Amino acid sequence: MSLQLIFDALSLGGIYAIAALGIALIFGVMKLVNFAHGQFIACAVFALIIPSTDALAVLGLGRLPAPVLIPVLLLFGAGIAVAAEAFVFRPMRNASPVALMVGSFALGVALQNILLVLYGGRPKAVSLWAELGHPVQIGPAEVPLLQLIVIIAVGLILGGLALMLRHTRVGLEMRAAAEDFAMARMLGVRANRVISGAFALSGALAAVVALVLVAQTGVADVRMGGQIMLVAFIATVVGGMGSLSGAVAAGLGIGAASALLQAWLPTDARPFRDAFLYGGVILVLLFRPQGLFASAGSKPRV
Amino acid sequence: MTKIGVFDLAVRYGKLTAIANLTFSVAEGERVFISGPNGAGKSSLLLAISGDVAAAHGRIEMDGEILSGLGSENVARRGLSMVPEGRRIFGGLSVVENLMVGTGLRRDRSAVAEDLEIVFDAFPILRERAKASAGALSGGQQQMLAIARALMTNPKVMLVDEPSLGLAPKVVDDVYDRLCHLQKLRGLTLIIVEQSSARAARVGGRMLLMRGGKIVADGDAAGFAADTLLTEAYFGEQT
Repeated sequence: MSLQLIFDALSLGGIYAIAALGIALIFGVMKLVNFAHGQFIACAVFALIIPSTDALAVLGLGRLPAPVLIPVLLLFGAGIAVAAEAFVFRPMRNASPVALMVGSFALGVALQNILLVLYGGRPKAVSLWAELGHPVQIGPAEVPLLQLIVIIAVGLILGGLALMLRHTRVGLEMRAAAEDFAMARMLGVRANRVISGAFALSGALAAVVALVLVAQTGVADVRMGGQIMLVAFIATVVGGMGSLSGAVAAGLGIGAASALLQAWLPTDARPFRDAFLYGGVILVLLFRPQGLFASAGSKPRV
Repeated sequence: MTKIGVFDLAVRYGKLTAIANLTFSVAEGERVFISGPNGAGKSSLLLAISGDVAAAHGRIEMDGEILSGLGSENVARRGLSMVPEGRRIFGGLSVVENLMVGTGLRRDRSAVAEDLEIVFDAFPILRERAKASAGALSGGQQQMLAIARALMTNPKVMLVDEPSLGLAPKVVDDVYDRLCHLQKLRGLTLIIVEQSSARAARVGGRMLLMRGGKIVADGDAAGFAADTLLTEAYFGEQT
């Protein structure tokens, strides 16, 4: 296997893992499959450019230097997610999981239409960090600098998040709430704090995905969140709903499988790559319908 | 002095009435057992006091302040802690992490380490397995963990739902010994759901007998063991 292929697999899988994590975090604490996550990503993408329906995109926020732009966009993503929780999901707090899911669909459609009104429906070319496209030489392989940065960033984010969940008070409360929310509340854990925290993290992760997507593809498209949301959702199901490490592993796995299939399939079969990919997903779910990493150790013992 | 007051309480799940017209009070430092057949509303009563289940009618007070409608997280912050039915420990967290979940509400952060020592002294097995995953503990150990976890919130009142369920009799003795020891040590008010009136009589305290969502008898646990009221509560009135 060529080194180039490993980098392709890691960077694509890393992005899917980050997107899947954004969904799994919220599902963990409130059993909500947030289908608006894709639109959180799209909102963060369009936040980079000045609102206009012209075909030509003019960078707004995106013109800020990277050390300023990255935290600002992460805060923007977190802000959108926290606002969505406060105005849409909090009033529905006692609704059934199905009602919550439908609510998230409605929110996603509303956000997408707001973007359509502000920016128009045509995809726009956006040039963000074009200089990162330059290849760097690593051993025998030539890898775009961006790909290298993505892989390192994903590693740092996953590591940082794991540390946060293990060693901070809010991390402890999130893990407890993910197992048994009512019990955590009976121990004085503040429901609103934990849920807002999960949404803020999820929104910031959506902004990370947005930055990488724009830098990689050079396009801003109202529909771009939906595609990755679908893959990320499948990853959370394959990983086992509610399992964060499962979502990350399955996200990496699906991304890697998709990169490998692209390289290894006979040329004639490549257009049908996704059929092979999702065939594999169906096989996994046939044998483990609860997902690969469904938690087994958390059941009460007598 | 009255610590917990329950006035004309009703709890309903949809059309099903779990508790109706329930009134009683518990004095500070008292130990009260609640007994009765399955479906008598014992667990519903504890969940209603803790704020996890909303009251359909009536009110619940602690130190004269109304708890109803505050929500369980705020009830916990006022010093009421729960050891629920089935223990509900966080199986994916370590033992010590389970103990720390409930310390976030405390203002006396410096006393948390001291209290950890106290519960570790009361339950040495928890110290031994502090880093282990709580899901890997035995049933008796999980019961001790649930009690220790509730203590870590530094409660004034502790509600304990069937500490004996699923445990060997010898382990139950052990659990009660330590519970009573800790009650004395901390000046706790204890409300305990206990199916076995014989057990309640042995441990000692007051006993409320429930049936069909109502309190049918109230008195010293020792006097109940041989009482006909008990037979009535379980099997209906004999003619």
